[in-house]
Amino acid sequence: MKEVKKKYLQPSSVSEAISMARQYSGTSRYLAGGTDVVVNKFMGNDPAECLIDISKIIELRSISENESHLRIGSMVRLSELEQNTVVKDNFPALCSAARAVASPVIRKTATIGGNVLCENRCNFYNQGEWWREAAGYCLKCDGDICIATGGKKNCFSKFVSDTAPVFISLNAMAETEGPGGKTIVPLEEIYTGNGLNPRNFPENSMLCAILLPLKENKINLFRKLRPRLAVDFTSLTVALSVNREGDIKIVLGGVDPGPVIIEGKFAGSKEEIIKNAVKKARIVNNDYYPREYRKEMIGVFLTEMFGEIENNYR
Amino acid sequence: MKPLHITINGSRYDFLVGEHEMLSVVLRERAGLTGTKIGCSQGSCGACTVLVDNEAVLSCITPALRCENSNVTTIEGLASCGTLHGLQEKFVKNGAIQCGFCTPGMVMTALDFVSNNHSPSPEGIKEALSGNVCRCTGYKKIINAVAEYAMEKRGEEKEKEKEKEKEKENTVGKPRPYIEAAKKAMGAAAYADDYKIANALHVKFVRSIYPHARIENIETGEAMKMAGVRYIATGRELPVKFGVLPISQDETAMAIEKVRYAGEIVAAVAADTAELAAEACTHVKVKYAPLREYLTIDDSLNDIGKDEKIHEHVKFNNNVHKKAELRFGDQQQGLSESEVVSSMSFEMEGVSHGFTEPHAATAWWDENGLTIITATQVTHYLHRTLSKTLGVPLSRVRVIKPYVGGGFGGKSDPFPHEIIISHIARQTGRPVRVCLSREEVFLTNHGRHPSRMTIKLGASGDGLLKVLDADIAIDGGAYSSFGVVTSYYNGVLLQAPYKLDNFGFRTFRVYTNKPQCGAMRGHGAVNSRFAVESLIDDIAHRIKMDPVELREKNLLDSHTLTVGQYRITSNGSRESVRKVAEQSGWKNRHGKMEYGHGLGIACGFFISGSALPIIRNELPQSCVHLKVDFDGRVLVTSGANDIGQGSDTMLAIIVGEVLGVSLENIFVMAADTLLTPVDLGSYSSRVTFMAGNAAKNAADNLRLEIADAVSKRKNIAVQELNFSDNRVFSNDKSVDLSWNESIDILTAGRGAVSVSGKYISPRLGGDFKGSGAGLSPSYSFGACAAEVKVNPETGHVTLLNVWGAHDCGKALNPLAVEGQLEGSWHMGMGQALSEEMKYHKGLLLNNSFLEYKIPTSLDTPDIRTNIIETIDPEGPFGAKECGEGALHPVIPAIANAVYDAAGVRVTKLPIRAEHVLALIKSKKKIAV
Repeated sequence: MKEVKKKYLQPSSVSEAISMARQYSGTSRYLAGGTDVVVNKFMGNDPAECLIDISKIIELRSISENESHLRIGSMVRLSELEQNTVVKDNFPALCSAARAVASPVIRKTATIGGNVLCENRCNFYNQGEWWREAAGYCLKCDGDICIATGGKKNCFSKFVSDTAPVFISLNAMAETEGPGGKTIVPLEEIYTGNGLNPRNFPENSMLCAILLPLKENKINLFRKLRPRLAVDFTSLTVALSVNREGDIKIVLGGVDPGPVIIEGKFAGSKEEIIKNAVKKARIVNNDYYPREYRKEMIGVFLTEMFGEIENNYR
Repeated sequence: MKPLHITINGSRYDFLVGEHEMLSVVLRERAGLTGTKIGCSQGSCGACTVLVDNEAVLSCITPALRCENSNVTTIEGLASCGTLHGLQEKFVKNGAIQCGFCTPGMVMTALDFVSNNHSPSPEGIKEALSGNVCRCTGYKKIINAVAEYAMEKRGEEKEKEKEKEKEKENTVGKPRPYIEAAKKAMGAAAYADDYKIANALHVKFVRSIYPHARIENIETGEAMKMAGVRYIATGRELPVKFGVLPISQDETAMAIEKVRYAGEIVAAVAADTAELAAEACTHVKVKYAPLREYLTIDDSLNDIGKDEKIHEHVKFNNNVHKKAELRFGDQQQGLSESEVVSSMSFEMEGVSHGFTEPHAATAWWDENGLTIITATQVTHYLHRTLSKTLGVPLSRVRVIKPYVGGGFGGKSDPFPHEIIISHIARQTGRPVRVCLSREEVFLTNHGRHPSRMTIKLGASGDGLLKVLDADIAIDGGAYSSFGVVTSYYNGVLLQAPYKLDNFGFRTFRVYTNKPQCGAMRGHGAVNSRFAVESLIDDIAHRIKMDPVELREKNLLDSHTLTVGQYRITSNGSRESVRKVAEQSGWKNRHGKMEYGHGLGIACGFFISGSALPIIRNELPQSCVHLKVDFDGRVLVTSGANDIGQGSDTMLAIIVGEVLGVSLENIFVMAADTLLTPVDLGSYSSRVTFMAGNAAKNAADNLRLEIADAVSKRKNIAVQELNFSDNRVFSNDKSVDLSWNESIDILTAGRGAVSVSGKYISPRLGGDFKGSGAGLSPSYSFGACAAEVKVNPETGHVTLLNVWGAHDCGKALNPLAVEGQLEGSWHMGMGQALSEEMKYHKGLLLNNSFLEYKIPTSLDTPDIRTNIIETIDPEGPFGAKECGEGALHPVIPAIANAVYDAAGVRVTKLPIRAEHVLALIKSKKKIAV
């Protein structure tokens, strides 16, 4: 095996970044704000030796608008997104989601791309090297058992992005670029639902932008369960949108290795929607709150959100 | 390595840095700018915040190379030529600085925020600071400082300042910042890890991965071969046992035969760099043979059959470390007199001190023997422990306490890392440094014991308490620490603040295979106080009496004895409970608000220093020296440990008050066992009372010396001389000397004058076994009211308001007293609502500031602070403790408010949403 030395590269364009990634293929990682990756590296959970810092790539840092879409560059910082007037006016839930991430100082560094792609989390995985050795390495760190469930097959690390559920509920598209060129896919398609490899991305490609449809949406709401009002990752995220035709799209985060998507009609049975949501979420005991409680809170949050829509938008 | 060109505070630097090196490391280790602090290395505490190109970033997670050609501003860049920046000034003036460890990050964060928000609301400020952990202040004074700065920047509010200037100088009772506050605000105060001793080795530890296992073999050969590795120490090199209490010395610096908790140190590697030492640790191979693990109280209380005990010395075939039991009066009689008896079982999780500065130390040997600079609350006990474990005379050990970033009891034991680095320094002949990671700080623990207890309280129909019985078990973890004391405190500290004639308790402290528990703010009685105040609330509801009235009816008077012969002197409990009842609108709101909205109240009390020293001997508990020389400066030397609670300032105030000189003439040197006389340390809330009294005694002695000299020279009676406003004068002004003139007279023909003062506690207490537990020359009292909202759908409790009152005797420095109270209440809120140490098979799960949930500024409600003064007859100028006792009432006040809001009685700490929800549901079921 060839020895890889630590590297820190700072490309100034997307194409340069991609060619660097190809050069260090298999050992490199794109570094956006780094608030997630750097901590994972400190904990010994990210073996990437070559960090490709894309924070200086200007083309990724703008928010632009055309007739149908808002295009949010992946390196737009969360603090910038919170302040954007188009976002504030059209997507209050996205604003709330951005503001629910970590702390204000972290949001000045953390980016939209980084948040959408942030690594799955679990009580038994987000630990230092010593701890994971003592606990017996879990599936996600190349061990052979899931500590949370005792199972040997599936990793249930949680999908914890605060903004991605909102994006998905608004039918956002992900614009990616890689050695094979540009692609645009629905954002939800980049999530596998597999805790071990939660994102399905062609090798060495990067997320360049999120495309948010401007005209479809009517209502969007966001809720996050966490013990404290700042800093904490989510224990349950609920993003809900209703379009002009009365279609509901609900996306849950924090309760499954991937986003959990439930669709229905606002006019239809709410109980059915809630039942469906609870059933679809593969919650395990790997969080501050116990499994049963988070399960129950899905229904509580959704009921509250439905009520809010009835009261404010009807 | 790569070159980094960077401008820091206006100066250009060129460094070679590691490719993945963080900015915080470059600032601290390469540029030598140690004002930027590292509290967690994981972006969860904010202590490392700096500005990069005028934007706040967390330097511990910012790759240094990202800052190529950037302009970095650190805390050192704000003050210009010693003149504080306006925001730093506000931090100083408002008492927003206690230990000062979070201050640099807090100031940088606030500065960035205010420069983008000119008219911030208090909520806006709270949100802006929500990623910065402060464990001392409860955020209140920090938020005030930021708000005031923003206001001043807008050109408002300047008049108040001028008014204040008129106030009288240097009197006891004047609110003032700590004497070192400006230094802390500038990032110039050096903490343990800020000392860079040349040529120092770095130590990292190999820690056990098993909770309970025999060590079969330790293979260090491969690690030792690595270039740059200088020494690897293992347990057999340090076989002498130690422990803070002489009666329970059961710990060695490293595990020898076996490990007793996951995280225990098995070997220590010293290398040229910290990275190298850490790398080498992974090459030390330890072979273990696992033993049966005891992880719960029940595991350890019961007979363990043929399995191996945690400690050989335990008397019976279980893991009970200590049984403490005392009974007074006649409990049977008390029960038969009771018309209502409330009995409940409670469970409390362990909690951690959460100080922001990780343990750190540097040790070296020279012609004077061992010197160690370390973050400790107890220089004196460490002095003794190092002498004992290293086998060197007491006269060859020097312990220096630098500025300490908070302790709260978590730095009040001698620690293995301190012994180990001293040993390696001796073996290698080089200075040795260590700084624990946040994870290691949590593993070191010594926090509050997980506890469970069943308590029975009986009262007459008209609300007079007749009997209290407590059956308690506490989980001590692997070693004893202060555990024997904790076992007693859980029970004995229930004999006040209410009059109880029939009272008894039994506490079992068990060893378990988890990191050891010890003393934490409010030591021993916080959990049992929560239980008893909940029972009182229950009795009040059952006999339909207002809980405030019931409490008032039973509170002890001043100048009385408790059933266990505690001598109560001044007692402000009545004023305290009345004050918070009045401010919270108790009469009109308790029991009268809509469902889900509640008010709760509770009382508390605490010792003001333990009357007995830990090590029985005939030394005074505190000794203070004063020296005055020709320049008129008074040097105060004291062994008391200022850990951010402000004891240095307290000493200066007392000396200044007695001598009538302003604080500019007073210089405090504290906690250096070579230079300062013995003080037992900062624990059991003893410093103001004991070191304060010793300082007062010393100052009285110096004043007498001065008066004597002036009297002889000026032919005037000593009694005619006054000391005030930097002058020594007689009433008729026939003698009217400046301070320096009087010192000229004192030192003429004699030179510098040194005097000594001391404090020895009076003989107190009964003559029964265990009578010494909880004895104190004075006790503090207090009360809290809390207002909560309980969401009946989620069970989530939102704390809306806390009103607190605390009888501190006399506030020598009201600004500092408020800070202690607000910090205590904040810490109590954390234990009440979110903090707990959670384990998975003996492994601490939440070993970070991200997962250990200290309330952020946003989670902290408005706090109304009331200082109650009762002038204690024996306290210095009437003062007694204020740093711990205030914590006691806040937790039960919150729990009682939950009862008022939702009609459910919480018996578990922390008050978790899922528990509250379950209680609400089961109540509904019963109702149906």
